[in-house]
Amino acid sequence: MIEAHGLTKRYGPKLAVDDVTFTVRPGAVTGFLGPNGAGKSTTMRMIMGLDRPTAGRVTVNGSAYAQHERPLAEVGALLEAKAVHPGRTARQHLLALAATHGIAPGRVDEVVELTGLTAVAGKRVGGFSLGMGQRLGIAVALLGDPRTLILDEPVNGLDPEGVLWVRNLARHLAGEGRTVFLSSHLMSEVALTADHVIVIGRGRILADMPVQELVDGASHRVVRVRSPQATDLADALRREGGDVAPGDDGALEVTGVEAARVGEIAAAGGVVLHELTPVSSTLEEAYLELTADAVEYQAETLDDPAGVTTDGAAR
Amino acid sequence: MTATTARGPETATPAVVVHRVTFARVLRAEWIKFRTLRSTVWTVVITAVVMVGLALMMAAIMRVAADTPEMSEGMSQDPGLQAIGLTGTTIVTFGYSFGALAVGVLATLIVTSEYSTGTVRSTFAAVPRRLPVLWAKLVVIVLATAVVVTVALAIAFVATAPLLEDAGLSVDLSDSEQVRALVGCVLYLATVAAFALAVGTLMRHSAGAIFTIVALFFVVPLIFSIVVQASDAAWTDWVNKLLPSVAGERVISRGLPTDALLDPWVGYAVLAGYTVVLLVAAAVTLRRRDA
Repeated sequence: MIEAHGLTKRYGPKLAVDDVTFTVRPGAVTGFLGPNGAGKSTTMRMIMGLDRPTAGRVTVNGSAYAQHERPLAEVGALLEAKAVHPGRTARQHLLALAATHGIAPGRVDEVVELTGLTAVAGKRVGGFSLGMGQRLGIAVALLGDPRTLILDEPVNGLDPEGVLWVRNLARHLAGEGRTVFLSSHLMSEVALTADHVIVIGRGRILADMPVQELVDGASHRVVRVRSPQATDLADALRREGGDVAPGDDGALEVTGVEAARVGEIAAAGGVVLHELTPVSSTLEEAYLELTADAVEYQAETLDDPAGVTTDGAAR
Repeated sequence: MTATTARGPETATPAVVVHRVTFARVLRAEWIKFRTLRSTVWTVVITAVVMVGLALMMAAIMRVAADTPEMSEGMSQDPGLQAIGLTGTTIVTFGYSFGALAVGVLATLIVTSEYSTGTVRSTFAAVPRRLPVLWAKLVVIVLATAVVVTVALAIAFVATAPLLEDAGLSVDLSDSEQVRALVGCVLYLATVAAFALAVGTLMRHSAGAIFTIVALFFVVPLIFSIVVQASDAAWTDWVNKLLPSVAGERVISRGLPTDALLDPWVGYAVLAGYTVVLLVAAAVTLRRRDA
């Protein structure tokens, strides 16, 4: 259980985290979603007592992180990949951290095996790939068998098999009743892994709700129709209470009217249809809509593999 | 082990035993970190080797000088040598300056490398109270330095004994001043290590911290040794004798104290005082600053 109350962090004139209040509950995976620079990492560092809040407070399992007698048994954290001296081996790094809590070397071997690092545990971390560094970070997080896990962008740099592994691990740990708090800038990743999502943008909480609710709430359905008699069709649809906007390449984008009803209206009006396609907006679109005003570094022209264009905003 | 019943299939092993964080455990962790870096181990070994080597070289020169009247004549009239005081311990501890450089850099890096590599965040996540980490690092570097320097001096003592005997400069362990110089060498270098650890903790950047140590202990004293000669102003004498290295080194020297230098133990106390102040400042900032 993580509880933040009015948590604020200011770096000079810049407000990185702005009066944030939320609760992360045990037994579920909570996604922490936001664009880069939104304040995710800063919030996580404050939870771990690494950064001192400018205002507000945050507790883990009932008290401030630094007040726990066995910190690693309370929270395991992956805060950045390869936060390890490159001259040490993975095993040496884990042994040193284990020593602070009197954790037996046998447990080090366990987490090494669990994270698939057995073959490279004796190698110096300097030669590790980003993915291996990420696995070592997860091994560190698991070391103390913690009740709460904080994972900052855990799938960064992992291959598809590693991504799947992290996803299953997070779900498994939550299934054991642990608190799992996992950040990502990818909505799709959070949708696949998390039960609950907290969306942050420019240091403020934009949404705090079950993932399904966010998806349902934000995805309004659109029907795309193409017709040589576009003007007639648009008028007919508007009379039925539909919202019609001209899409790209002459198609119409209709909201508020089901696809079947659009077909019926067209038939009744004797309008020829060349295309009738129901389009549901993607998760990625829902997320972008939510954070549109809260992106730290806005590109001048939106690079856009998902097919989200500025036209979408005109709907 | 009742916890096993509540666990999933993958972790159906006995529950992980996790103890409280104690200073002894943090000390153990810091010792593991210290000995698992090859650079640390190499620095320690090279320091000992160079200190022994320099002592042997000086002893050999003394042995030659003993047979060469002009050379011993010149040495007995050199004001610099007069100040240091030329006895067996001067030869045995001859490498202390190099030792200070090596130990200073090593102690700085022990803490600054944690910041440059990001290890510090793992460290503070495990020990969020932070101060035990600083004190554990202090114990590790001070003890390691003391042991290495003691071993190096012991080897140098044995290795140079025949040469020094021939040169008429045998170390006399019944002379309390000579014993003080030997013990002082260990103390001085251990204190330099603590000083450098504090500077590293305060500055957090390797290059800046190492530059500061080198400037304070090697460059500024060099400049002042010239300034003191050239100037009659009393303040230059005072600044010079209160420099951390000039003051601290007095505990190793065998020369008679002059007005321009502090008494051996007073000098050492000055260095120790700086070190304590810096360590307190380091502890305060370590607790406050974001990692």
